[in-house]
Amino acid sequence: MDMLIAKDLTVSASLHGERVPVIRELNFSVAPGRVLGLVGESGAGKSMIGRTVAQLLPPGFAVTRGELMFDGQDLVRMPFETRRELLGRDIAFVPQEPLSGLNPVLTIGQQIDEHLARLDFGNRKVRRDRALEMLDAVHLTQGASLLGKYPHQLSGGMCQRVLIAMAFASRPKLLVADEPTTALDVTIQARIVQLIAELQRNEGTSVVFITHDLRLAAQICDEILVLYAGRPAEYGPARAVFSEPAHPYTRCLQLSNPAMSGARRGLYTLPERMPGLSAIKGIEGCLFAPRCPNVTEGCNAAPPPVIDVGAGHRAACIHPDRTAAIAAPVPAAIDASGLGTPLMTVDGLSKTFTTRHGLFQRSEFAAVKDVSFALHGNEFIGIVGESGSGKSTVARMLCGLERPSEGAVAIAGRDVSDDSAATRAYRRDYVQMVFQDPQSALNPRRRVASIVTQALEAAGTGTGAERLARAEALLSEIGLSPEMALRFPSQLSGGQRQRVNIARALCAEPRILIADEIVSGLDVSVQAQLLNLLLRLRRQRGFAMLFISHDLSVVRYLCDRVLVMYRGEVVESGPTAAVFDAPSHPYTKSLLAAVPPDDPSAAWAPRSRDAEPALALGAGL
Amino acid sequence: MIATILPLIGRRLVMSVLILLIVSLLLFLVLHVLPVDPAAMSLPPTATIADIEAMRREMGLDLPLPQQYLIWLSHVIHADFGNSIHFRRSVLSLVGETLPATIELAVLSMIIAAALGIVGGLVMFHVRGSRKEPIADLGSIMLLSIPEFLWALFFILIFGVALQALPFTGRLDPQFRLPQGTGFLLFDALAAGRLDIFWSAFKHMILPCFSLGIAFSPAIMRVLRSSLIDVYQEDYIHLARLRGLSERRILIRHALKNAILPTLSLMGVQFGILFGGTLLVEVIFSYPGLGNLMVDAVRNADLPIIQAVGLAYCVVVLIINTVVDSLYLVLNPKLRVR
Repeated sequence: MDMLIAKDLTVSASLHGERVPVIRELNFSVAPGRVLGLVGESGAGKSMIGRTVAQLLPPGFAVTRGELMFDGQDLVRMPFETRRELLGRDIAFVPQEPLSGLNPVLTIGQQIDEHLARLDFGNRKVRRDRALEMLDAVHLTQGASLLGKYPHQLSGGMCQRVLIAMAFASRPKLLVADEPTTALDVTIQARIVQLIAELQRNEGTSVVFITHDLRLAAQICDEILVLYAGRPAEYGPARAVFSEPAHPYTRCLQLSNPAMSGARRGLYTLPERMPGLSAIKGIEGCLFAPRCPNVTEGCNAAPPPVIDVGAGHRAACIHPDRTAAIAAPVPAAIDASGLGTPLMTVDGLSKTFTTRHGLFQRSEFAAVKDVSFALHGNEFIGIVGESGSGKSTVARMLCGLERPSEGAVAIAGRDVSDDSAATRAYRRDYVQMVFQDPQSALNPRRRVASIVTQALEAAGTGTGAERLARAEALLSEIGLSPEMALRFPSQLSGGQRQRVNIARALCAEPRILIADEIVSGLDVSVQAQLLNLLLRLRRQRGFAMLFISHDLSVVRYLCDRVLVMYRGEVVESGPTAAVFDAPSHPYTKSLLAAVPPDDPSAAWAPRSRDAEPALALGAGL
Repeated sequence: MIATILPLIGRRLVMSVLILLIVSLLLFLVLHVLPVDPAAMSLPPTATIADIEAMRREMGLDLPLPQQYLIWLSHVIHADFGNSIHFRRSVLSLVGETLPATIELAVLSMIIAAALGIVGGLVMFHVRGSRKEPIADLGSIMLLSIPEFLWALFFILIFGVALQALPFTGRLDPQFRLPQGTGFLLFDALAAGRLDIFWSAFKHMILPCFSLGIAFSPAIMRVLRSSLIDVYQEDYIHLARLRGLSERRILIRHALKNAILPTLSLMGVQFGILFGGTLLVEVIFSYPGLGNLMVDAVRNADLPIIQAVGLAYCVVVLIINTVVDSLYLVLNPKLRVR
């Protein structure tokens, strides 16, 4: 019998006194020992399903129709205490953010022990032995010393292993893993996913795996449910869903994800974004119709029925036969030829941080060691590497936010190593930075117009009206409507904010952009929009860019050349295609192997490197 | 544990010495600006101008100011605060008798403030979002707006005068004599095995301590409530629920342990203010502490006492701050040096 069964499951939120279904008529089942993948953009309702299993819904949300059965019991209608008995025992959860999932003021040992005590694992001594066994099972060596540590002393990957150990302590029948690797580096992601798969196989656990990463889902899931605005778009065996997608949404998502192998293909750009709660009410027919390339009149008439398109493979689309015809656009050419003289040369750049312990001891940490490269006009260079590899420190030094310990940087032939006012002004004319998190990079109390024209305002050029006109011109250039100029950042979506962030950097007409992880944390559809925007802007106005990212596929799509950084050093560099197709350094090889392959049927065999470092390097910096 | 606190205490000691030097200089200068002449005050009214001049020379008041300061400082360092002009007794013994009384008052008041604040904060957190919330809000704002001397007057009127349930002057009933010892009355009475004295002293402390404690509790309530609300947004609370822990356990073991940290640093700041606030309450309850001594000294322009009491307040606040910061370090693992 199936472990988890959803029948016409509908979750509604109350919005201005009205009930709006957030999740509507969902049907799926997870058999014992199988893995169901929930995929879709953020806001599609993936996490809501996890919360529905625990019945820990946000205020105002409730299951209004249908049922959710766990092991023959109705999770929605059972008494609170009965369900609480199941949680942590028969149903376990692995969260997205491992570091914030552990209580900062309790040791790892205390938190594991609390969980084991609730599971009635005998006395303190027995529980401690069991805790050590558990840590061993998730391949955390030195378990005994780990028990006395606090969460902030561990890396994200180690915290996630601890949480996985706790989740499997009771040999649960069902595991809900909500984006368990999104916050982790790609190499650690591979190991965490393998760990979950290994424990799941050994224990015969059923898993609901929530992810936005289609390639990852293809590798580890048996069945896939694609969600769009809380509605099922497509459901079926993973291989069928990914190799012959029947719903246009699945196909579009696949095509907006940059490829890791084969010829460089263009990115499909899904227009607009998923309708929010208030917009859903106004749509009569298919919710995806406004963004669908195959839309016909019939699509807007009524909600599409869920129809069978193959063995156990269903899709909510009236034209599933047309889906295969959706094709990626021809890619904008990347031209690394005719580079001419370098615009920026970096020579032997190093940065050493000094930390003080107590009064007299100090230790040195080399964040960046002897980095040299040249950036030419109109060239996009990608810097890839894990967190802590020194990528961001390089970016900060090139922008003048951090003083290099050693080495020289020259821009258009002039050395900018000193910190004089004249040098800073000169550097500003050439270099602008785009920061990672637009939420915190944009001043919430300023309107978009004043944010994007900050450079003019600081220089005192132009009147207010001229600056507004400039802001509107910039906004239309980056694909936002000029009316946005008078909005506040809080009134924009994540993708729109990042566009504003880019527009601000472009306002001063820089010749070099430095972009630090500017598409991470965004949905693939928004990411594709931004990547294509950057390529278009380069064609139109011409600028060079240093693009820092942990996502290899994005760098492969966007950048002419790539630098691979590992522990502060550049271990490999060259034209993107050459490095990705024939990596020479073992680190580059392991980095590339850690990315799940494009082809869902290809084997994914990430190499395991040595165990993670005992303490997060430079965690205190 | 000890190893993590020691460096902090070391740093604090160095800083405290600097702060005390600055405070002593300020005290010295301010009191020299006052239009009082200690030489004239320490002589009988019949003294002639020549007598006063001779006294000035004897007291060193004719020396240049920096030199006077250094002489005073060297005496202070040797615990010699001179004699009170008014009481004609050693300042050190006067302060030594009254300081423990005030510390006792302040500590007990702080305990009451913390207890009321924590219970009130939990209640306010519990009723959040319900219909009772506005009532709890109103209550806490009312508490916040009533100062300690008003509470003192209310309590005297209700429990002292109307109900005659509790005493409201002095430290002890008149039939008892102060037991010898540390000056901490509750402690001394217990050490001497005199439960009757302990009970009398305790009854005398109830009204003054509650006046101070109630006045200082609402800020604690509000900070605890808002930090609890913040903590309940954290992932680890959500995950604790997903592990099936009971709400009570989540509150006590997970939420409170984190939410108490901002509350604790507030209490550290509050204690300094509360220690100064004892002055008014001591006067109202005729409680023979540092505050009453200070008021007498100011009234009589008794400069040596004012200087000594000023320094005493400063030392106590510095010690309390160091204790609170050490406690903070113990409770917050993120601050510990690895």
